[in-house]
Amino acid sequence: MGSRSRPLHSHRSRRLSVAGDRVRRALSISKAAPSPLRLMLVWGALVASAGGLVLNLFRLQVVQAPELQQKARDQQMVYLRPFVPRRQIIDRTGVVLALDRPVYTLFAHPKLFKKSKEEIAAKLAPILNWPVDTLIKKFGEGESGIRIQNSLSENIGDRITSLRIDGLELIQHQQRFYPQQDLTADVVGYVNDDQKGQAGIELSQQNLLERRAKDVRLRRAGDGSFLPDDVPSGFLNMDALQLQLTIDNRLQRAGLNALRQQIKQFNAKRGAVIVMDARDGSLLSLVTAPSYDPNLYYKYPVERFKNWAITDLYEPGSTFKPINVAIALEDGAIKSNSMFYDEGQIIIAGWPIQNYDFSTSGGRGSISVTDIIKFSSNVGMVHIVQQIKPAAYYRWLKRLGMGELTGIDLPSESPGQFKDRDTFINSSVERATAAFGQGFSLTPIQLAQLHSALANGGKIVTPHVIRGLFDADGQLYWQPNLPAPRTIFSRANTQAVLSMMETVVTDGTGKSAQIPGYRIGGKTGTAQKANPNGGYLENAKITSFVGIFPLNSPRYVVVAVVDEPQGGDAFGSTVAAPIVKAVIETLIVLEKVAPSSKVTSPSPSSSPELETEETP
Amino acid sequence: MLLQKSFKQIRWKSLVQPWQNVDWWLFLLPIGLTILGGVMIRSVELNQGWTDWRQHWITGVVGLVMALAIARWRYDQLLRWRWIIYGITNLSLLAVMFFGREELGAQRWIPIFGFNLQPSEFAKLGIIITIAALLSERPASTIPVFLKTLGVTAVPWILIFLEPNLGTSLVFGAITMGMLYWGNANPGWLILMLSPFLSAILFNIFLPAWFIWVVVVGIIAWRSLPWYRVGAFITVVTNLISGALGHFLWGLLKDYQKQRLTMFLNPDQDPLGGGYHLIQSRIAIGAGGLWGRGLHQGTQTQLNFIPEQHTDFIFAAVGEELGFVGCFLVLLAFWLICLRLVIIAQNARDNFGSLIAIGVLSMVVFQTVVNIGMTIGLSPVTGIPLPWISYGRSALLMNFLAIGLVQSVANFRQRLSFRD
Repeated sequence: MGSRSRPLHSHRSRRLSVAGDRVRRALSISKAAPSPLRLMLVWGALVASAGGLVLNLFRLQVVQAPELQQKARDQQMVYLRPFVPRRQIIDRTGVVLALDRPVYTLFAHPKLFKKSKEEIAAKLAPILNWPVDTLIKKFGEGESGIRIQNSLSENIGDRITSLRIDGLELIQHQQRFYPQQDLTADVVGYVNDDQKGQAGIELSQQNLLERRAKDVRLRRAGDGSFLPDDVPSGFLNMDALQLQLTIDNRLQRAGLNALRQQIKQFNAKRGAVIVMDARDGSLLSLVTAPSYDPNLYYKYPVERFKNWAITDLYEPGSTFKPINVAIALEDGAIKSNSMFYDEGQIIIAGWPIQNYDFSTSGGRGSISVTDIIKFSSNVGMVHIVQQIKPAAYYRWLKRLGMGELTGIDLPSESPGQFKDRDTFINSSVERATAAFGQGFSLTPIQLAQLHSALANGGKIVTPHVIRGLFDADGQLYWQPNLPAPRTIFSRANTQAVLSMMETVVTDGTGKSAQIPGYRIGGKTGTAQKANPNGGYLENAKITSFVGIFPLNSPRYVVVAVVDEPQGGDAFGSTVAAPIVKAVIETLIVLEKVAPSSKVTSPSPSSSPELETEETP
Repeated sequence: MLLQKSFKQIRWKSLVQPWQNVDWWLFLLPIGLTILGGVMIRSVELNQGWTDWRQHWITGVVGLVMALAIARWRYDQLLRWRWIIYGITNLSLLAVMFFGREELGAQRWIPIFGFNLQPSEFAKLGIIITIAALLSERPASTIPVFLKTLGVTAVPWILIFLEPNLGTSLVFGAITMGMLYWGNANPGWLILMLSPFLSAILFNIFLPAWFIWVVVVGIIAWRSLPWYRVGAFITVVTNLISGALGHFLWGLLKDYQKQRLTMFLNPDQDPLGGGYHLIQSRIAIGAGGLWGRGLHQGTQTQLNFIPEQHTDFIFAAVGEELGFVGCFLVLLAFWLICLRLVIIAQNARDNFGSLIAIGVLSMVVFQTVVNIGMTIGLSPVTGIPLPWISYGRSALLMNFLAIGLVQSVANFRQRLSFRD
C-alpha cells in the first residue's frame, strides 16, 4: 500500500536534529501530507456521514413532516368527556324526586387473590347477602374480570373496601335513583342504563337535566398529565342547580291512593288525577294508575311508560257541558237566567238524543240553565247550543284549542280530535252531540285546561309541571317561558257558570264530592267510549269528575278520570267524584284553605253566594 | 491621536500574540454551538423550572478559558507526561468503580468538591494523548505496534465497559480505529479487527452473507498479515466461530443495553418502553418541518414527551423548534469543525499533533453522527451526547479541553525551526 511510504519519525529524534539535512527532513515531515488515498477516505467518510444525516433530516422534516406533525397533535390532544351527574329533580316542597347517586359494580380477579377463595368468599358473602358456596363457584368462573354484582350501594361499597382484599375491584358509576318510586313516575319518567331519559321530564327536559359538560380538548404532557391552560373556566365547579317541579308529592300520594282505591273497587282499567292551579296552569299533581317504579322500569310493560292523561284521547261527555254554557253566555246566545224546555228525549236529524235518566225521570219540562247543568240534561244542553250560530260555535271551540295541543312540558302529548269546520257546521247532530261532550275527543289534561279557564276568569293557560331551575339556596336561575294566557271568557260569565257548577255538588249529580263548610263547583261525566271501528262500545264507559275549588276565590281544578269501571253503579258521581273529594280534602290541609263562613249553618237549598249579596 | 491608535493596535497585537496561529474558526464554531446548546437546554427545561442552561454556559466559559490557556502552551510537553496521563486515566476509572455514584444502573460519576465528575469523559482525551504519543514514536504499520496500541487502549476501555457505559466504550473504539488508521495501520487489519463483530451480526441475520464475509475476510488476512498462512487461518476460524462468539458477547451485555441496540430497528415493538424515545424523538424532529415551530414553541419538547431531552436527545428539540434549516446549520457547524480538524491534522508540525487532531476528529464525528442518527432513528440509543450542545458538564469541559489541545497543535505548527 502506498500509505506505507509516509515516513514517520519519533518526535524525540526530530527535536534533537540540528544538522541541515535533518532539519530539512524534519521540516519535510511537518509539511508532508498523508497519502492522498487515506486523506480522501477521511473526506469521503465526512461527506458521506454529513450527507446521510442531511438527507435523513430532509426526509423526516420536509417529506414526512405533515404526517409526523399530525402524529404529534394526536398524542398531545385529548378529548375529555367529563362525567357530570344529571341534575336533581325536586317537587315544589323540595322533596327529591330523582337524583344521581354513585353505585358500584363489584368485580373479582381471582388471579390476584392473595388469600384462598374460600376465605374471601366467607368474608364477602354476608355483605352481599349471598350464599358462600355460590360465591366460591362464581370465583371459579375465570381468572379475572368476573362481574359479581351490579348496583351496589355506597354503603355496601364502603364495607367491601374496608375488607382490603386483593383481587376485588369496585367500579364506581352514577345511577339515577327515584326515591318516590311510582309516586311521580308519570311526571318524572325514567332514564335507561345509558342515563338517557326515556319518559316524562327525564325525556322532555334532557337539556335542563343534563349539566352542560362541554367536550374539553386538553393538551397532554409526555407523562400523561393534562395541562391546565386549555381548561375552560368554571370547569370544575359544577353548578348545583336543581329542577323544581310544580308537583306536590303529598297531593300525588293522596290522589294516587284515592285513585287506586276506586280502580280496585270498580275493577277499572285505569285512571288519572290532575290537580291544576288555574291561575297559571301549573300542575300540582298528575298521577295515573296503574303506574310503574322508575327504579325498576325494566320490569314493567312498555305501555305503562306513557302518561295516558296526556297521550290518550277520550270523549269528555258531561264534564264538557259547563264549557258549552260558558260559550253560549259569552256569545250572548243565552243569559244565565234563560229557561229551556227539556223534553227528556229529542230526535236530531234522525238520531235520538236522550237524557241519561230519561227512563227514570222522563222530561223535566221548562228548566233553567243552572238546572241543566245540575241534572246534567243532555236535551237541555242541545237546546242551549242550538241558540249559538253553528259557525260561531265552531269558532268558539277552536279558540278554546279543540283539536290542538295544550303545549304541556311533558313528552308525547296528543292533540285532540275535532271535526273539520264544514262537517261541524253542516251537521246538526254533530253540534248536538258536542253539546254534551260527545263526538270529539281530548286528553284529560286539556279538559283540566278548559276548566281552568272557568276557574281563573276566562283565561286559557298552558299546563306545565316545571317551576324552574333553582340553585342550592333556592334562588331562581331559570324559568320556563310560557305563552301568555289567552282570555276567552269574561269573568262575569265564568262566575255564572261556576255558580251553576256549585249546585251540581250541593244538589246535583256531584253530591258525593261535598265537603262540609267548603264551596266546591263540579261536574260529573259518564261518557260512552268510542269504538275504534265506529260507533260506541257497548259496556265500556269512561267516568270523570271535574272539581273547581274554592269557589270564594277559585284556584284549583281537580280532574279525576277512571277508564272502564265495571258495574251498574259506575258513574262519574260514584267513581270519580269521591277521588276529587279526597284530593280536595288534602288540598285544604296542605294549602290551609279556610272554610267559608257557612260552615256552622248549612243551607241546603239556596246559594250562599246569593245570600251574601242580598245582605250587604 | 494617531500615535494613541497605533499604540492601541500594538497593544492589541501583543495581547493576541500568544495565539496568533490558532484556528479562530475552531474557537468560534464550538462557542456558537455551546451558546445554542444553552438556549436549547433552557427551552427544554422551561416547563420544569430547571436552570441547567446557566451551568452549561458557565462550564462553557470555564472550558473556553482553559482551552485558550492550553492553546498557548506547547502540546508536545505532553509527550513526557503521557504515561502519567494514562495512569491517571485508569486510576480515575478505577475510582469510579469504587467510589462512583450509581445512576440509571451504571456507575459513572464521582463526586469531587461538590461536582459530579465523569472520568469516562476525560478518559477519551487521555486515550487520545496516549495513542498519539504511542503512534508518533512508531507508526502502526507493524503488527506489534498495532497490537500494543490495542493493548494500551484495552485497559481503560474495559474499565469503562464494566461501568457499564456502552456509549463511551463505543467512542473509545472509534477514536482507536481513527487514530490507527491515521497512524498508518493497514486498513485490512482494521477490517479484520471488526470482522468478528460483523460476522456475529451477519450470522444472525443472513447466513450466506456471513459465509461470503468469512471468505472476504480470509482473503484480506492472507494479503495484509505478515504471517499470512497462520493469520488467515486464525481469522477464518475466528469468524467461523463468531456466531457462537457473538452469542457469547451478546450475553455479556445488560438487558437495557441489548434493548437499546436493537430497538432502533423497530421502535414500534415497544412503543411505551424501549422504543418510546426513538418514536417520540422522530415525531418531534419531523413535526418541526422546514422552518421549525420556533424557539420555546415545540409542543413535543415543551410538553416533555421526550425524557432526558436536555442531554442525549437535545437534537430533537433543535429539530422541532428550529426545523430543517436549524438542523442543517448545526450540521454545517459540525462539518466545518471537522474540516478544520482535518486541515490542522494535515498541517501539524509532527505526527503527535497530527494524531491528536485526528483523535479529536474521530471523537467528534462519531459522537455527532451516532447522536443525531439516534434522534432520527438511524442508530441505537447508546447514551452518547452531542458535543457542545448536550447538557453534561464533564463532557462539555472535555470537548473544550480537546479543542484547546488541537489549537495548541495549530498554534505551534510552524515555529519549530526558530523556537527550538
